[in-house]
Amino acid sequence: MKKFLKKLGLLFLIFIAVNVVINYVYESSANKAIENKTHKNYLKWTDIHKNKNSYDLVVMGASRAYYAFSPTIIDSSLNINSYNMGTSAQDIVESYYSLKEIFEYQNPKYVVLDLFFPLSDNVHDYSQIFSNASFFNSNKTKLELITEGYGGSGVANYLMPALKFNNYIKQDLLGLFKEKEAIKSETNWIKGHLHDTVTVTDKQILKFEPTHNFENTAFDKKRFEKYFNKIKRLVEANNAKIICVRVPYPPSRLLLSDTDDENEYYSNFMSKVNIPYFDLNSYKSDKYKYKDQDFADYHHPNYKGAEKASMQLVEAINKLNK
Amino acid sequence: MLFNSFEFFIFLPIVFVLYWFVLNKNLSIQNILLLVASYVFYGWWDVRFLSLIMLSTILDYYVGLKIHNTEEPKKRKHWLWLSMGFNLGLLCFFKYFNFFIDSWITAFNSVGIEMDPFALSIILPVGISFYTFQTMSYSLDISKRRLEPTKDFVAFATFVAFFPQLVAGPIERASNLLPQFLKRRKFDYYLAADGLRQMLWGLFKKIIIADNCAPYVNDIFANYGSQSSGTLILGVIVFAFQIYADFSGYTDIAIGTARLFGFDFKRNFNFPYFSRNISEFWKKWHISLSSWLNDYLFTPLAIEFRNYKKHGIFTALFLTFLISGLWHGAGWTFIIWGGLHGLYYIPVIYSKKRFTSISTNKKTSKKEEYSLSDLPKIILTFLMVCLTYIFFRAASVADAFGYIKIIFTEIPLWPSSVPYKSLFFIAVVMVTEWFQRGKEHGLQFNEDSKVPVYLRWTIYILLLLTILVFSGQQQEFIYFQF
Repeated sequence: MKKFLKKLGLLFLIFIAVNVVINYVYESSANKAIENKTHKNYLKWTDIHKNKNSYDLVVMGASRAYYAFSPTIIDSSLNINSYNMGTSAQDIVESYYSLKEIFEYQNPKYVVLDLFFPLSDNVHDYSQIFSNASFFNSNKTKLELITEGYGGSGVANYLMPALKFNNYIKQDLLGLFKEKEAIKSETNWIKGHLHDTVTVTDKQILKFEPTHNFENTAFDKKRFEKYFNKIKRLVEANNAKIICVRVPYPPSRLLLSDTDDENEYYSNFMSKVNIPYFDLNSYKSDKYKYKDQDFADYHHPNYKGAEKASMQLVEAINKLNK
Repeated sequence: MLFNSFEFFIFLPIVFVLYWFVLNKNLSIQNILLLVASYVFYGWWDVRFLSLIMLSTILDYYVGLKIHNTEEPKKRKHWLWLSMGFNLGLLCFFKYFNFFIDSWITAFNSVGIEMDPFALSIILPVGISFYTFQTMSYSLDISKRRLEPTKDFVAFATFVAFFPQLVAGPIERASNLLPQFLKRRKFDYYLAADGLRQMLWGLFKKIIIADNCAPYVNDIFANYGSQSSGTLILGVIVFAFQIYADFSGYTDIAIGTARLFGFDFKRNFNFPYFSRNISEFWKKWHISLSSWLNDYLFTPLAIEFRNYKKHGIFTALFLTFLISGLWHGAGWTFIIWGGLHGLYYIPVIYSKKRFTSISTNKKTSKKEEYSLSDLPKIILTFLMVCLTYIFFRAASVADAFGYIKIIFTEIPLWPSSVPYKSLFFIAVVMVTEWFQRGKEHGLQFNEDSKVPVYLRWTIYILLLLTILVFSGQQQEFIYFQF
């Protein structure tokens, strides 16, 4: 037995050592960015923590949210102070725990939540999730996010960097056999919003696929409804209002789609729970007609799309306040 | 609880430590620990269905003793029928009720008698096909006086519910496994170390091959009508490796886990895709089921039909395969799958002088010799098996025929999408298993192995990292549904 345990222990140690090396390699660029004060999540959370009780509106969601909503436009039109807290690959669970942290420091009147199916599927980018959570000041919220929010899989990913960074390691390994594409820099951040001047190319448009539906995603209704209701209770307990939106898609993608499960599901669900919901693909579409050129790629609005989406949000809030 | 879940990686070390370090002084207490652990393992999925296992355990324990203590053949038969009736009744109700009702209504409707559809919403308890077969073999062996019943209820209950093999086998015979619960287990370094290696190999096959192939195969079978012939051919070939990696991977983890606790299970796979004919394939694929069917179904039927000579043997075999299909799933697709395998035996039975068995559960670990001339036979056997997989995987008989029609009526163009990553890993596993074919699993190293220690350790670490980095979306084991 001693020999067995010794060897098992040795294997375990080697395994830990390999994980430590992986962690070092993949976290070093993030650590450098924090040192240089260029890390986007670090900057966002620093703003939230430092400027106590100063934001009237916060936007939650994934990259589609931080591309689409410009606080500058929203603030000048509504005469408020807003902030975009969308983070890469943010899912519904992460939105809930992020809001818990935000309400410790801010007292917003509105929480805007961007919805799309991958927000609640079974595929999680744990490196992004943990990167975001690493800036929470509350260790309790951080721990709850890992253990309650993502369960065993969350704990395993947290403890094993080889698992947490597996998508990046895979990309790097496969990249050895592929030609590297030029990486676009994302530096123009204003109050959490990414001001992107890139326009989708015709070649990219030709490769567009239909929008999300129940068949091409693993949308987990139960999980979404559970955490949406938690968000609703949290927001209401803090005397704020939730406004749900769906950021637009390039029109060519909508044309490719036979069904619009996403919009149907969200509009039915939101009317059931009595929460305002605006699909920006169709809300005031005669005034805000989207073109493919309003997008940076297959689903992120660029600065032109962001102008329209932000103004649609302003109109939606005005409508609610009437 | 799934073997490839985080919960299992917490559960297993806890049970291991309690078993070897805390409760190692007393055999009965060790067995109680294993029984409780097995019930926790099963109850993690659905605690309600534990009652079925317990009921089956109590009944078969009691019936076993009754059969043994009764001399009168008629009474012995009655007790045996009680066990068979109860276990098959469970199976029929939970697994086949809706299928029989559906088929009955379809049959009536087809002759013009209209009947309203009727179905109960019945959940299929995981592992029911496995543990009912295991307990039935116990009663059957006692009735044939091949086995003495045990008076140790805890040992018997643990034999029925032992967590490594409870939900998807291997279907262990009481004659092999039960005595292991009755004698003191000593920690065996080589058995445990090999068990760990076998678990690692099983996890690699399950997580890297089966889970990564699943989305590709699901997409092709769900949209076969819009796929080219070449894509459909590749789809079924990838499925062949998916199901092999899934099920043999599960078996490797089960056998490896049992070894950590000092138990030795019978082998369930013997590198089946290197078979040169269908008869060899069934001696190497799901051995615990095929040997069960051989001993308790085919042999009695063959004896019953012995006056019809080869026709009798073929009838017995064909019926056995139809039932094997039905065992896999309550659907016509599975029955046709079984029937096709039965038909494949026609040349084997009629060309051989004497055909005696479908499978055997005797241990064979001799490295088989192959020559280059065996290659076409291996490929042909594999393709024949692939053809049957179309029925096994398709959602309906019509879909299976639609799939086959496209394959045989269109020119096979290069597939529209090729899962290169999965094919690479499949090649790694097949090449490894080819060179390891004399061994019990792909990662077995004998004590006198010439592979240097540093190389072995590099392989272990690489496999572990590959599992973490290239893991696909977690999928349930395919055989859980059976």
